[in-house]
Amino acid sequence: MSHLKAMASRALQLALVLWAVVTILFLMFRLMPGNPMAAYIDPTFTVEQQEALMAQFGLDKPLWEQYLIYLGNLLQGELGQSFRYREPVAERLMTLLPNTLILTFSSLIVAYTFGILAGAYLAWRRGSVVENTAIPLVLTTRAMPEFWLGMVLLAVFSFWLGWFPAGGTRPAGASYDSLWALYTSREFLSYLALPALTLAIYSQGLPLLLMRSNMLDVMKEDFVTMARIKGLSNWSVVVRHAARNALLPVMTSFAIAVGYQLQGNVVVESVFSWPGLGRELVNAVSASDYPLAQGAFLMIAVVVILMNLIADLLYSLLDPRISHA
Amino acid sequence: MTETLLSVRDLKVSYQVGKGSIDAVDGASFDVPRGSIVGLVGESGCGKTTVARALTRVIADNASITGGQILFDGQDIAALPEREMNALRWRDIAFIPQSAMNSLDPVYTVEYQLNEVLRRRGGLGRRQARARCEELFEMVGIEAGRLGDYPHQFSGGMRQRVAIALALALNPKLVIADEPVTALDVIVQRQILDQLRELQSMLGISVILVTHDISVVAYVCDRTVVMYAGRIAEAGPMDAVLMEPSHPYTMGLRNAFPDLKGAASGVLTPIEGAPPNLAFPPPGCRFAPRCPFAVETCTTQQPALGMVAPDHRVSCHRADEAAKLRQEAARTETWLADA
Ligand SMILES: Nc1ncnc2c1ncn2[C@@H]1O[C@H](COP(=O)(O)OP(=O)(O)O)[C@@H](O)[C@H]1O
Ligand code: SF4
Ligand SMILES: [Mg+2]
Repeated sequence: MSHLKAMASRALQLALVLWAVVTILFLMFRLMPGNPMAAYIDPTFTVEQQEALMAQFGLDKPLWEQYLIYLGNLLQGELGQSFRYREPVAERLMTLLPNTLILTFSSLIVAYTFGILAGAYLAWRRGSVVENTAIPLVLTTRAMPEFWLGMVLLAVFSFWLGWFPAGGTRPAGASYDSLWALYTSREFLSYLALPALTLAIYSQGLPLLLMRSNMLDVMKEDFVTMARIKGLSNWSVVVRHAARNALLPVMTSFAIAVGYQLQGNVVVESVFSWPGLGRELVNAVSASDYPLAQGAFLMIAVVVILMNLIADLLYSLLDPRISHA
Repeated sequence: MTETLLSVRDLKVSYQVGKGSIDAVDGASFDVPRGSIVGLVGESGCGKTTVARALTRVIADNASITGGQILFDGQDIAALPEREMNALRWRDIAFIPQSAMNSLDPVYTVEYQLNEVLRRRGGLGRRQARARCEELFEMVGIEAGRLGDYPHQFSGGMRQRVAIALALALNPKLVIADEPVTALDVIVQRQILDQLRELQSMLGISVILVTHDISVVAYVCDRTVVMYAGRIAEAGPMDAVLMEPSHPYTMGLRNAFPDLKGAASGVLTPIEGAPPNLAFPPPGCRFAPRCPFAVETCTTQQPALGMVAPDHRVSCHRADEAAKLRQEAARTETWLADA
């Protein structure tokens, strides 16, 4: 029960964070130099469009009233009109969000699966030649710039070997019955491969090093020694006891990493022309498409906050000291 | 079948530290008769845990057994191949650690951890294992309904009972308990010790009870092995060793602890000074720098573990003067004057 209460208070906390983000976004775009209406109205909009937006966002009203209207609009998922696309921001973002989430999750799942296994293995082989060569290698992958890594993969696997397409999510002119049909098609997977691999290589170091150092700590715990005194097999000792315990913080870091990755995606999405949130955000900012930029910021913030909540949930699910308090 | 279950002969264990090494156990010999509780007692750092762990052969990464024999049921397990040793672990030799909290895996239920040994090590089926779990919990006085609980859901005393249940799971011949009650308060200590004693005599097993607390030995043990700085100072029947100690260190220990069964004076006299650094042990008797009765030979020659009575061994050059030394040792001034 106290567990439920803790979760509720955590959710409340995150709701407050979300509210703060929303408010900062409001102020940031309202108090920018120049015309305060610039946040929503592009001079090239037709007069009717301009008037509709004036009314919808109450742009002629005092700031506090605008703020209330803005909150009300947000609750209804109303984010304004994109200057560039002349379409509702919310709609535009909803078509990009799945691309970003698929890229993020597929790369992180690969990165974490590999990182956890390799980290546990390296901890177990502590001090061996394998470990001594692997660690500098992992550190190198952490130091490589993502765009550079992306370009190298592109040059080798796309331009040179021709195994994978160079960018986008689908062949030119291809159309699918539904988004589901697109995302489950073989072509989509071949488009996804290189950007996901780039991100996976870039991200695998964190879970790997985290898993390894957790394992090394856990291996010193009394319960691991006891498992040996019990005569349990090496597998039981290393996997069932050491790895299972070392995994807890790594799993939590997964959810947090999703949040970070959304920001890291910007570069990779640009290199591979991947129509995702990050690339859209950069484009929107450089094109002064304020409503779109504001919406993209907000959406990324929401995902980050949600993943934090999931991280907490995950931890309490995996750690009986919390779930059975 | 002989009367002796375990016979440790001249055991040596050392730790590699940097380029040097520490001989934490330097020639320890003692016996554990079947069906008895043997107390291994001595100040913190004298090598008790090192001995206890050496008997399981699960020792620190930087430790190695450098000499001696560990005759268990007539077989030298110090020389046993690892595979065969592993087959012995927990089936024949089980372990109760000091902190049950840290020695139980926090992410598994107690039943899971009992099942782990019952099924993987004991070869029991699912049903049999469940029945055995219930039986074990009944033995240590916990309701079977709590089998599904996690370690952190038990109190300190209860966790120690769980650790006892775990140790008894496969009907071992020998249970090694390393400071099993040190972390508990006095009342709970008594309860756990009573239970251990009861189960030990009911099952007829042998127990090595490692403790720094001589009153714990007095409370439950049949025999006492007193360790000092990696060596055995005195060993024999509990009453003989504690009531009529023949080694000055045992005499000093007795004065330093309260609550000893039959101890006459209420005044506590600590032994002044500290045990030697085991990386650079003093020549001769290791207790000499703190011993009020040290004579010339003590600082040059290592005393051998000699017999003072049948079944009672002492490692002291002045063991034959023990009766006289005991009288002097009973006086507080003896222990102050020397420092
Ligand atoms: N892993 C280790 N490396 C180096 N020295 C150790 C190690 N473990 C124990 N020691 C040393 O060995 C001696 C005996 O330790 P221990 O057996 O734990 O004593 P006790 O259990 O009687 O308190 C101590 O001096 C201790 O510092
Ligand atoms: S041998 Fe000497 S120094 Fe050692 S205990 Fe006996 S009397 Fe004391
Ligand atoms: Mg100890």
